[in-house]
Amino acid sequence: MAENKLNDGMYVIGGLFIAIAALMFLSPISLMEDDWVTLPLIGLPILGSLLLMGFSSAVPAWRKESISETIKYASLGISLIVLTITSLMMTDILMNVHWANITFNQYVYEVEYNWIESIGAEWHVGIDGLSMPMVWLTALLVPVTIITTWNEKKPWYYHPLLILMGGCLIGVFVALDFFMFYVFWELTLVPMFFLILNWGGKERKYAAQKFFIYTFSASILMLLGIITLYLLQDPSTANSSITGRSFDMHEMIKTAQQEVILGNIWLGAGTQKLLFVLFMLGFLVKLPVVPFHTWLPDAHVQAPTGGSMLLAGVMLKMGGYGMFRIPISMFPHAVVEFQMLLMIIGMISLFYGAWVCLGQTNLKRMVAYSSVSHMGIILLGIASLQPLGFAGAIFMMFAHGLISPMLFGVAGAFKHHYHTLEIGSMRGMAKHSPWLGGNMMFSWMASLGLPLLAGFVAEVAVLVALWFEFGWWVIIPGITLAITAAYYLWSMQRTIFEGGENTQPPESLGDEKPKDIYLTEKIGLMSLAILIVIFGIFPFIFFEMMSGYSSELIESVLLDEISGRWG
Amino acid sequence: MAYDAVSVDGIRYLLPELVLISGILALFVITNLGDAKIRLPLTRLRIPALLGGNRFKWNSDPRLPGVISVFTFILAIAMLIQSLGGDSCNDLVEKFCAETTILTTTGNNPVDLLKLDSFSRLFELMFFLALLLVSAASINRLQADSNPSNDDLDQLLDNRRQVDFHLLLLISGLGMTIVAMSMNLFVLFVGLELASLPIYVMVAFHKESKAGTEAGVKYFITGAVSSAIGLYGMSLLYLWSGSLQLSVLEATWAAMATPETLPLFGISLLLVGFGFKISAVPFHFVAPDAYSGASSPVAALLATASKTLGFIGLMRILMIITLPETGDTAVWMLAFGILSVVTMTWGNLAALGSENPKRMLAYSSVAHAGYMMAALVAVAAWKNGSFVENNNGGVMAIELIIGAIIFHLFVLISFKIGAFMVISHLETEDEVTDMSSLHGLAKREPIIATSMFVFMLALAGVPPLAGFMSKFLMVTGIVQVASADVLTNAEIDLIPTFLGMHWTFFLAISIFINSAISLYYYLRVGVLMFFEESTTRLPLPKVSILRFVILLCALATVFFGINSDWLIESAIEAASTLFSNS
Repeated sequence: MAENKLNDGMYVIGGLFIAIAALMFLSPISLMEDDWVTLPLIGLPILGSLLLMGFSSAVPAWRKESISETIKYASLGISLIVLTITSLMMTDILMNVHWANITFNQYVYEVEYNWIESIGAEWHVGIDGLSMPMVWLTALLVPVTIITTWNEKKPWYYHPLLILMGGCLIGVFVALDFFMFYVFWELTLVPMFFLILNWGGKERKYAAQKFFIYTFSASILMLLGIITLYLLQDPSTANSSITGRSFDMHEMIKTAQQEVILGNIWLGAGTQKLLFVLFMLGFLVKLPVVPFHTWLPDAHVQAPTGGSMLLAGVMLKMGGYGMFRIPISMFPHAVVEFQMLLMIIGMISLFYGAWVCLGQTNLKRMVAYSSVSHMGIILLGIASLQPLGFAGAIFMMFAHGLISPMLFGVAGAFKHHYHTLEIGSMRGMAKHSPWLGGNMMFSWMASLGLPLLAGFVAEVAVLVALWFEFGWWVIIPGITLAITAAYYLWSMQRTIFEGGENTQPPESLGDEKPKDIYLTEKIGLMSLAILIVIFGIFPFIFFEMMSGYSSELIESVLLDEISGRWG
Repeated sequence: MAYDAVSVDGIRYLLPELVLISGILALFVITNLGDAKIRLPLTRLRIPALLGGNRFKWNSDPRLPGVISVFTFILAIAMLIQSLGGDSCNDLVEKFCAETTILTTTGNNPVDLLKLDSFSRLFELMFFLALLLVSAASINRLQADSNPSNDDLDQLLDNRRQVDFHLLLLISGLGMTIVAMSMNLFVLFVGLELASLPIYVMVAFHKESKAGTEAGVKYFITGAVSSAIGLYGMSLLYLWSGSLQLSVLEATWAAMATPETLPLFGISLLLVGFGFKISAVPFHFVAPDAYSGASSPVAALLATASKTLGFIGLMRILMIITLPETGDTAVWMLAFGILSVVTMTWGNLAALGSENPKRMLAYSSVAHAGYMMAALVAVAAWKNGSFVENNNGGVMAIELIIGAIIFHLFVLISFKIGAFMVISHLETEDEVTDMSSLHGLAKREPIIATSMFVFMLALAGVPPLAGFMSKFLMVTGIVQVASADVLTNAEIDLIPTFLGMHWTFFLAISIFINSAISLYYYLRVGVLMFFEESTTRLPLPKVSILRFVILLCALATVFFGINSDWLIESAIEAASTLFSNS
């Protein structure tokens, strides 16, 4: 027994070490007035999850079951605190903000601390009309995911990992410093790697490694872009830095904007294009679009439900967010140059994703490819270079962030209760499990863009912008939407309905009686469904700040380039 | 300041080395103390003579030699820190900064022997830290035979073995500090051999196991041959310039109108000698054998301190031969660049397929040597090229690169030694010959497994760990060199911009590609630890000191990743003293 106690002591010391390491991470940062981002949104989830995991690892294996409820509720509590703070941020309770009226490159809740002075890296965070929806989405999805997958195995590590994931993602969305941005960008891979590895399907080993290596390689290209951009800064801007340069995104965007006003091409055309390509490769893989999408189906099919929900809901949006924040804001010349290419990639992605969906028999794989297809819409919105298109793309990121977690939540529930993911392996689910069937139908309807649901708004906005910019090209997305409707309705028919009196449960169920979903799953999925309806009927809650951001972006950076092209 | 090396003035600058020497003496004496007594003639008084007779209980404890050497290293580090400072260092708190002091020989024609400045002091600190961790981890190791008993004789034999081991460690440390301080190729060679010979013995220290003996012999033979080749190169250089003084060689080289055959040949032979030390391709073949045959702490020493020795040598040579006036050394640069790419790729590809964790770490060490070689090539390219320095007040690219290499060598101590310590901890249970020893470690030892995963991610260069920071600095330096001419030119388009990059740009790209390749085998370790089932779920045998070292390494890995200000500034400071000739 003494041996055990000593070992526990070691673990506690280890936990303390981790806690101290985490504190050091935050050492230059004290909670100052109006700093609502650093500690509440990033520090709390990350530190909280490290402490919870350290605590769980100190508990011997046979006693772990007894702490699982505590850990679950603690994780839920932390994520709800984050959600509350983000929700307050959207209103003007914490600070008097008019989100729709923020000028370009101006940030609310902005704070700066010195971090690694010698290379000019800072802890610089701020929120604007682009990041606010993303931050809120992340903050919302973490508790929803926790509730939906309440009964996952090994909850003492699973739920803390989810909030860790949330903290890292918020870090990406609020970072205004390239170094910090890259650090959080890569940090998000680690919890997701473990989520897939420990709670995934049969091929999880392969999928987790493929996911990590594929996306890491892509972001290495982005790192090369960051380094090049860093070196191109004026070496007299940051005095405390040994290279004289800094990673400040805010300053760089400002310089780029000033050059645009002066009528120059910042850094020169060739360099802008080089940087644009490097950054875009990183973001396109993350988004993902068609030539670079192969990691996504594998990762999704193997990931656990909660992992898929966060992966599809927020992680993919990192790509879209990054495109707006860096290449579009900084390299307007290159954006206009590459407009056609982006459009074509978007079209291919949209069409190919939907086309492949038709042939899928695995439910999760189908949903994953539908994600690829929807991400094509984001790229099309960007390629339109219209304020409406940009706003539509950002709203697509948001709407897809609500819809795809629901799709994966439903797919996960189906897998859990019917032990299969095969489409068409059963008939008449609506009869056996009406809640699951209803939710599945609703989420599929939302995904195919039914009017009055969130996805519709975004699609319409992007299509209209596309029509303005490219004219009849809009036929391809039109056809694709029909294909989308086709594969969803076909799957719906084969799974949820049909069968009449003699419905057949799938063979994988064996002798079990088909069950309906748990209460927690109902709560999680229904809250997403309600939000999808709300944002379908009242899209302006977020659409206003998005279109405000988009028109500011176009006006202050891109307009000269666009109008210059047509003389 | 220049002092006579053997005067009181001079010798007070060598306090850390004196501490090491007294540590060696202490190991000799203390472990040989006995209870023999001398009877004073004509009296009954018996005076303890201490030497001779039976040994006491306390000094035949097998852990005593380790404790002595640990304290010696701690004291040496304290002396090192105490000797810092000086007139030129008013920001000692922020940087690791020392006044430049040169120790010479007496006589009419004094020869500079040792130079003490930020460069040498930082490297000494690195060596001492590495040796400290290794000696701390070896306190409980190296039992004479596998059936432990409380037999006094066994204990004594263990004690003898431990004395030998830690004695070698201390002597090797002395050699390393001499290499760090040397101003003279001859002194450098003496230091190098003083450091290397004990390491050859330590590799073969496991005389019970065939692998250990074989590894030791292989390592010794190749090491001796490459030393001899290097020595031959030195003799050619001496023949050419009439001096082995680094400053004289530098001046003579710079005065050459056209490159002459003799010094070029001499330098390339010298590179062979150092190439073996850093285990660069094609001299890397013996490294995996040596690493897997040696005990894990010794392998850790090979991967960090021994490699650092080679890099000190390379940096010194680089300063001699790449002055702008030398003209056409581009061929040499290109060859070295290609070699660096081959080294990193070979190391990573071989590591992909290796099933023995120690061989995997050895190959990963080869790959890391490749990254650092690539950075050195960029330094050479910069010094050789005609780049316009556009740096108002910032450091030069070359200082950044050398600083990055020093940073990397420093943080390797945390995560490379940490990784070997985890394997060492596994070895306390059973011999580690394949990956199955790592299976299910996360269930048995969550903290150790997490630390191991942290080390692996740091080796792969994942932010925000220390390994990322060093790779980041290196690539920043290389890109700065490569893009200096192109990116400032606003006229040219995308493809010409890309093609117009200096060829060192592709070194940066190959570092990135290799990082991506290497991620596979580093992640695999994580997968094995967290995913595979082990045969047992019992925790590892309890060895507190090893656990402490592992936790310390993990902490340092995280710390230097996110709070690296101090180390970056110190490394840059050290790099800039390397460039200044005074």
